[in-house]
Amino acid sequence: MPDSTFLDSTELVLNMGPQHPSTHGVLRVILKLDGEKVMGTSCVIGYLHRGVEKIAENRTWAQFNPYVDRMDYVAAVSNGLGYCLAVEKLLGVEAPPRAQAVRVILTELNRIASHLVWLGTHALDIGAITPVFYCFREREEALNIFEKYCGARLTTHAFRIGGLLYETYDGFEREVKAFCKMFPPKVDEYEELLTNNRIWAGRLKNVGVLTADECKEYGVTGPVLRAAGVKWDLRKAQPYSGYEKYDFEIPTRENGDTYDRYIVRMREMRQAVRIIEQAVEGMPEGPIMGKVPKVIKPPVGEAYVSIEAPKGELGYYVVSDGSVQPYRVRVRPPSFVNLQALDRMVRGGLVADVVAVIGTLDIVLGEVDR
Amino acid sequence: MADEQKPEGSQQPPPAAKPAAPKPAAPAPKPPATMAATPWTSEMARDLKERFGERVKETSTYLGQNFIVTTPDGAIPVLEYLKLEADFDYLVDITAVDWPKRADRFDLVWVVYSFARNERVRIKTCIFDGFKPPTAVGAHLTANWLEREVFDMFGIEFDGHPDMRRILMPDEWSGHPLRKDYSILQQDQRWVQENLGIESGQ
Amino acid sequence: MVKLLRKIFLVDLFTGLMVTFRNQRPKYIYTEQYPGERPKVAERYRGAPRLNINPENGETLCISCNLCALACPEGLIVVTSERNEQTKRKDLTTFTYDTSRCMFCGLCEDACPVDALELTQDFELATYTREGQIWDRQMLEEGPRPTPYKC
Repeated sequence: MPDSTFLDSTELVLNMGPQHPSTHGVLRVILKLDGEKVMGTSCVIGYLHRGVEKIAENRTWAQFNPYVDRMDYVAAVSNGLGYCLAVEKLLGVEAPPRAQAVRVILTELNRIASHLVWLGTHALDIGAITPVFYCFREREEALNIFEKYCGARLTTHAFRIGGLLYETYDGFEREVKAFCKMFPPKVDEYEELLTNNRIWAGRLKNVGVLTADECKEYGVTGPVLRAAGVKWDLRKAQPYSGYEKYDFEIPTRENGDTYDRYIVRMREMRQAVRIIEQAVEGMPEGPIMGKVPKVIKPPVGEAYVSIEAPKGELGYYVVSDGSVQPYRVRVRPPSFVNLQALDRMVRGGLVADVVAVIGTLDIVLGEVDR
Repeated sequence: MADEQKPEGSQQPPPAAKPAAPKPAAPAPKPPATMAATPWTSEMARDLKERFGERVKETSTYLGQNFIVTTPDGAIPVLEYLKLEADFDYLVDITAVDWPKRADRFDLVWVVYSFARNERVRIKTCIFDGFKPPTAVGAHLTANWLEREVFDMFGIEFDGHPDMRRILMPDEWSGHPLRKDYSILQQDQRWVQENLGIESGQ
Repeated sequence: MVKLLRKIFLVDLFTGLMVTFRNQRPKYIYTEQYPGERPKVAERYRGAPRLNINPENGETLCISCNLCALACPEGLIVVTSERNEQTKRKDLTTFTYDTSRCMFCGLCEDACPVDALELTQDFELATYTREGQIWDRQMLEEGPRPTPYKC
């Protein structure tokens, strides 16, 4: 794209990234500008490519588990859940009820942690510096629970194929409940800072609009799709890990602009708290590990299992040839697919909006490049 | 569960252990032969068979997940038909699986989802190395990057794709990493030396 | 009039300062005096590896079964042993653990049948050399010795 453009005197090709603070990692966007107006973009990705899918083919099924945490590193628990569910599907086992409840609690805590990172950095990109400190303060509480539960804060490796390895620690329920009590007022605090803020609304409203049809066309999922008015969430549509037991709503908005995506994510955090409260209230007793053989050797076959990660539909397509190693693990990363819609969202907008749109897509480059 | 046995000695890092033969069981003709899939009978499956005849080879279900096996030229028409007539308006994923011992080397897989029906279907086709399957960009814009990734990782070129370049690996890189004959330690030495100024990336 | 009085008596300023001072309470202070005062990490924290010894006779607990080496995704554990003619058991000779490639997933710890290998709460693993990252048996048994600092 950038070749012939230099000849046109009114157009400017600008390189944003890969070392730009608001590209959220090593994303390089080549912008074609006419003054302040964006005429077109093209993304250059792959700076963080580590070949996760290739690594999978050279590890055993259980050994690959810690690697998935390193894709979407702000939502490592969700990644692990998706992988474990996929392998469990191939094996034909299901995690026991207690394990499922703990999984739901940790995944939802992770959704909150992921959304807090998004809110903090997004607000920082727009120019509001306060929220990032607030968000990271509350995220710390969630990460502390992870640390106490499984011994790591970020790359958790919390779940194992077939269930859980660790039983909850003493005071787990108390701390989770305390978090649920502490957190909603904090969301109010963020909303007080931002929702009716004139600068915030001015920077976000009608920016990066993506309608429902465009979302489907581009395969965009997650909060971006829901902000466009599609009431679709895999936790409701195809429940996994016992989500059908919990009562929660899918927040949606109509306009599909950046402001609506902000509102949707804020409400999602509140719904996550609701799910955690229900899960911790009715946590069943019992075993935490399903009947999984010591050496995991799924029968020959293939399965596609997807979950609602904080960023959208995270899918694992796993193929087994009956040996101890995966024959193929394909990850369907939400960030990668969502990023593709960037061009449509910023075209015709202003340069400053590119930053807002990258922020609102909530991409993690570790997952885009894998 | 952590004490899986690796097939070979432990001293070496596991990557080096897998030169070329991941022993894809025995199925030389077709992998679903060993996959315990059962036929998928539904109105849609019948409909597809009627409409596309020979081009739809098989409609099966495995672990409750339905998939359609088509001939290489039948995949895109089926995809378009599903989108326009059956509301499968969301292309979830395109990927490939390499079976180096087979004559038709690659499995190409499309995953589609219908919001209206809340249903997911996989379309599978087997193609030989060098075959250029038609692109799906006409039907779903998502296919653009997904097909680029398949090209990057497997070297399957899509016919009619607007922008068939590598996406994750550097443009000048040679070799396609996710092919089974590409070792995990392998790299494009020339590229590494020219661009990074080091002897080797290992 | 009220507005003017508010301005004269700096009411807004004092309300603001009250918020500031309220947050000075020790309860809200998060700053850690790091090297002087080391943070307490969780009990299950996966940090520096340690090879446990029997506290009574100082012998290693490791039975050189090699399961940790097989479980490790990165293949960074190397265990060698020799067969003891008298007891017909395997005696551990060397045990190396390459912490530079370790991702602290804890799979080796889970695999160990006798709780000999353990990931401990020590988190200060930095060294001055690459070779220093490769821990031998002695290092694994003693654990890292972080420099004590005085505040």
